[in-house]
Amino acid sequence: MAAPDDGADGDEPLLAVEDLTTVFHTDKETIRAVDGVSFEVSEGETVGVVGESGSGKSVTARSILGLIESPGTIESGSIRFRGEELTGGNWERHRGDLSIVFQDPINSMNPVYTVGNQIREALRIHQGLRGQAAREEAVRLLEAVGIPDARRRVGEYPHQFSGGMRQRAVIAMALACDPDLLVCDEPTTALDVTIQAQILELLDDLQREEDLAILFITHDMGVIEETADRVNVMYAGEVVESAPVETLFDGPAHPYTRGLLASIPGRTATGDRLPTIEGEVPTPTESASDCRYAPRCPDAFDACERVHPEHVRVGPDQTAACLLHEEVRPRPDGRGDRGRRRRRRGRRG
Amino acid sequence: MSKWRYLGKRLLMSIPVLWLGTSMTWFIIFQGPIDPAANVLSNTQTQNTERYEAAREQLGLNRPPLEHYLDWMANLFTLDLGQTWLLYPGSNVNALVMDFLPRTVWLGFWSVLIAVFVGIPLGFYAGLRSNTLADYLASVSGIVWRAMPNFWLAVILLSLLVSSETLLGFDWDTFLIDLPSGVTGNPQLSYMAGRPWALLTQPGETLAATKKILPAALVLGSASMGNEMRIGRTAVLETRSQKYIDLAKAKGVSDRALVWKHILRNALVPLVPIITSEAFLLIGGSVLVESVFGIQGMGFLFFKAAIQGDLPLVGTLMFVFIVLMLVINIAQDILYTIIDPRVGYEEA
Repeated sequence: MAAPDDGADGDEPLLAVEDLTTVFHTDKETIRAVDGVSFEVSEGETVGVVGESGSGKSVTARSILGLIESPGTIESGSIRFRGEELTGGNWERHRGDLSIVFQDPINSMNPVYTVGNQIREALRIHQGLRGQAAREEAVRLLEAVGIPDARRRVGEYPHQFSGGMRQRAVIAMALACDPDLLVCDEPTTALDVTIQAQILELLDDLQREEDLAILFITHDMGVIEETADRVNVMYAGEVVESAPVETLFDGPAHPYTRGLLASIPGRTATGDRLPTIEGEVPTPTESASDCRYAPRCPDAFDACERVHPEHVRVGPDQTAACLLHEEVRPRPDGRGDRGRRRRRRGRRG
Repeated sequence: MSKWRYLGKRLLMSIPVLWLGTSMTWFIIFQGPIDPAANVLSNTQTQNTERYEAAREQLGLNRPPLEHYLDWMANLFTLDLGQTWLLYPGSNVNALVMDFLPRTVWLGFWSVLIAVFVGIPLGFYAGLRSNTLADYLASVSGIVWRAMPNFWLAVILLSLLVSSETLLGFDWDTFLIDLPSGVTGNPQLSYMAGRPWALLTQPGETLAATKKILPAALVLGSASMGNEMRIGRTAVLETRSQKYIDLAKAKGVSDRALVWKHILRNALVPLVPIITSEAFLLIGGSVLVESVFGIQGMGFLFFKAAIQGDLPLVGTLMFVFIVLMLVINIAQDILYTIIDPRVGYEEA
């Protein structure tokens, strides 16, 4: 929980998430939506988080932004931004350094204020701009995200924007905070395909121009392939594989990743039935003592039900949490020892 | 632009409503099963054919119905409300309404104000602190206020205040402001006659009239207060869980600005129709409360006219009520266009 003292050295990545566990308390049980997730985002890098619905991607994003509210809480782990610990209520000092774009552009802007008003609000908080200067900057931002006739549209309300335009405006609002890290939580899922491509292109351009780091969360492997430098595959609250995007697509190490890749349309020979992964993502309520993917895994063997797999290095820059890649030493008590767990140190090669 | 068009449209739409409502009233009163002429006369007079015919002629009932209808409508729409025959015989209804209406408006004004300024803040407070002790207390009190029937609460409050000296330890009649006329009776509003600005320039009279009406207004507004509390709480809870609130928070908006700028205005939107629809209830509810507190207002007048069978007066009062409702409706539309920019957009 406590931040290590190495915050000052230059080796510290922009964002370091370590062993993050976010739980939701219900009357009956405690749901471990994010269960021991670790990854890093370096400056200017795009890190993808991919997984099915219910795998804990969005909760990870909300945890990083400090948006977890009762009945949810961050139970353990650390989130460090530029070496500074954020958990324990330190988000306020870094508001705006981390921005977020949500899936649903319809609800991302307050319907009763103009788009310009909401952009200027961020400009005032983070860049101290007021009055005419803020107005000019808001117009410039809208132009920068590709909204035509920005001078007029800055005075319009969100409902007067189309879905794609609204997502652009939301991105403009995020940029008004002058962020170092932009968390994109399925930003294109609610948009149709042509608009989706435009938004991805826009994010790509902005990243280059503003030297943004992007944490890109999606369920769409195709989008990940286009955008991300590095990919973390999530399953049932855990990262099961982490690798640079080319490595992951060329040689997936975890059976779940293989299943995800196989189910992308167009990757299998035409005429064949598209493979799917049978079953659903389980909702974890206790810390894992087995492999959560085992019930759906085509390669599962008996140890998978008894041992919680740790991340092991399977390539120069690739790790996977799968017993297929581990010397299985069944322990007498049949439990994976969480305390002994080796922290994965993902480094970009 | 489209906002004005929307408002204009709503204004135009209220004209057929006014016409239809008034026409139906005419039909029920003058073509209905009860003979208005027979009712304005006492039983013995009804036997007298001459008196009966005179009454029919006074009411215009001897003329063809269409002519009578047009005449009646023309009179109402030119605000010539005619005369009463049974209740306060021979007096001008315009004068009667001008006498009674201000008391009802004063009562309604304060009961809406109490409901809005107590119920909504309490609901918002509960919504912002959901599932805390404060929330539970506010929610339970909201349900209690809502559950207490008007007439019962009126009687209880009245008896409490009348014997306040022995029960509560202070005399309500002289508490803060001296009220020689006691708990019941009409509030003194005549000082504002023809000079509405006296409301502010003569604060002594205003305070006295306010204190006079407050118990009745509290009773009349109690149910609305509980209602608005509950709806306000739900609206805040719903708004709080919206994505744009998360986004504003991520943007670094302070908690205070988050509540005052982003949550409250959105939470007000579902409250507007609640407030205005309750203003309708106040017109009906004022009959009971005005009777208990002895306030001679419109509800009281309507009730007496109906009980004693002064049908022409009932018809005229119906017209006044229809106009009041239309005014409230238009006020609702204006509120909507102020609070929610989405209003009127779809039709444009």
